[in-house]
Amino acid sequence: MSSMKKPEAQSISVTPRPSPASSVPSPRPRNNGSSISGEYGNSSVAPSSAEDFSRQAHLSAELSRKVINMKELRSLASQSLPDSPGIRSTVWKLLLGYLPPERSLWSSELKQKRSQYKHYKDELLTSPSEITWRLVRSKGFDNYELKSGSRCMLSRSRITDEDHPLSLGKASVWNTYFQDIETIEQIDKDVKRTHPDIPFFSAESSFARSNQESMKNILLVFAKLNQGIRYVQGMNEILAPIFYVFRNDPDDDSSSHAEADAFFCFVELLSGFRDFYCQQLDNSVVGIRSAITRLSQLVRKHDEELWRHLEITTKVNPQFYAFRWITLLLTQEFSFFDCLHIWDALLSDPEGPLLAFIVAGKLTGDMLCDAGTGEEEVDRWRFHIEYEVTSTLSNYQHQPSLVCS
Amino acid sequence: MVLVLALGDLHVPHRAADLPPKFKSMLVPGKIQHIICTGNLCIKEIHDYLKTICPDLHIARGEFDEDARYPETKILTIGQFKLGLCHGHQVIPWGDLDSLAMLQRQLDVDILVTGHTHQFTAYKHEGGVVINPGSATGAYSSINQDVNPSFVLMDIDGLRVVVYVYELIDGEVKVDKIDFKKTSTSNSAP
Repeated sequence: MSSMKKPEAQSISVTPRPSPASSVPSPRPRNNGSSISGEYGNSSVAPSSAEDFSRQAHLSAELSRKVINMKELRSLASQSLPDSPGIRSTVWKLLLGYLPPERSLWSSELKQKRSQYKHYKDELLTSPSEITWRLVRSKGFDNYELKSGSRCMLSRSRITDEDHPLSLGKASVWNTYFQDIETIEQIDKDVKRTHPDIPFFSAESSFARSNQESMKNILLVFAKLNQGIRYVQGMNEILAPIFYVFRNDPDDDSSSHAEADAFFCFVELLSGFRDFYCQQLDNSVVGIRSAITRLSQLVRKHDEELWRHLEITTKVNPQFYAFRWITLLLTQEFSFFDCLHIWDALLSDPEGPLLAFIVAGKLTGDMLCDAGTGEEEVDRWRFHIEYEVTSTLSNYQHQPSLVCS
Repeated sequence: MVLVLALGDLHVPHRAADLPPKFKSMLVPGKIQHIICTGNLCIKEIHDYLKTICPDLHIARGEFDEDARYPETKILTIGQFKLGLCHGHQVIPWGDLDSLAMLQRQLDVDILVTGHTHQFTAYKHEGGVVINPGSATGAYSSINQDVNPSFVLMDIDGLRVVVYVYELIDGEVKVDKIDFKKTSTSNSAP
């Protein structure tokens, strides 16, 4: 199977473009991603070289310490993690601050967080019907039993607290439910079309369906807890890699609690750039425009020639490429499994998103200068990145001095 | 969780001009999945109005309905429940519990929705539950001049039903509720 550029399932503000046919050979054989927990990714479980082997050993050693050395871990992750089962799941949880560096605290932390998520679900995802019945039961009322033999007028109880399906009251669970329906439908649509080429997400199996259910729950709980930004298209793309990695963890405990763990990590990841989703903040210092500007400045710092080509010679508006890169964290630019590697580096750096863009920009400096202007050229340019990134990422050394403050 | 609106005996335009504004402001589209109407709308305008609230509309024929094509009785299955619909002027004596119980056994439904008396009632007998949503406009009946507008909204959730009764009393909307359930899908085979 040749190197895949994922067909564009959705776009945010950039017009969708057809994916160019590949003429660049894939550096590794691709796997569609099996739906069986524990198997995923493209390379075999055994490390392919001595260097890989030593890296994996080093990582395993780091992860088995009583107190994880986060600096060391970040540095290891920035060179991309091995695909061996379970490592990525644990490392990402550490990098996102979900697991504390002290191993001894892990089990209590996990217990607390998982119970908190369950509480959120109970509170926010219960249907109004269910809530009504729980109230009835708790008050000890007996329900009439249909066809139970005795003839009687059914007695009615007056509703004084204003809650009924047609209520327009602010405190009404019914009213809230109907207001949420639009969000629920949008989430449903987006989750159904997330990664249609990967069985984990979209097969006709009960496993895939339960994965979709979990993702929908996470996104809905997030939307309801964050009334300011609710659900925005694209959040499903950011959730997908996190949930995938955690659900495929060979450790049963981690895998079965993937939904709760993914929720918190998703929140953490999003917290870095939730301001990008808020339209009112677009032009502010924390908004998306400012981020795009910063990216452009970084490109200039690292590769003056490339920057000049973009800004001056071809006058390509950074919004055309940067917007989707930043808001979707490169999930739309590379194949799913390459993304996992890129995210290893991305999550290892507190500056996160901008790091990978520098990588991408650096690689293509030469290619772009030969290319012309126009959309096709930008497409071809982006496409070349995919081939290069997997080999380059392992060589790229993060240099703190180059990062913009 | 399925919401079913049950109403009827509006008698527009002969005995009432329209539903009360307070009812109309609550009956917004998008919330209700089915409407069952006991009949005596009487005109097409009411039919069209009900269609805007919910496209799945079922009507049984009342003796004053202009559209003669509505059926005398109708049976539908919603979730785990079988519902029967009949205006009720055919059942003599009008409003008689035994006669209605017979009709219910004939139709073999869990919930029989019927009108004609312009009076809300809900009772159960061996064959199931009978609900009369009253008159949604408060139109007078041949038995009763002083009628409070009323309608019914059922929330069918699995094996449980919550019946919400909406009544306009002295200008205010009052809401009551009734809960009942069934133990299993023990209907005779269709």
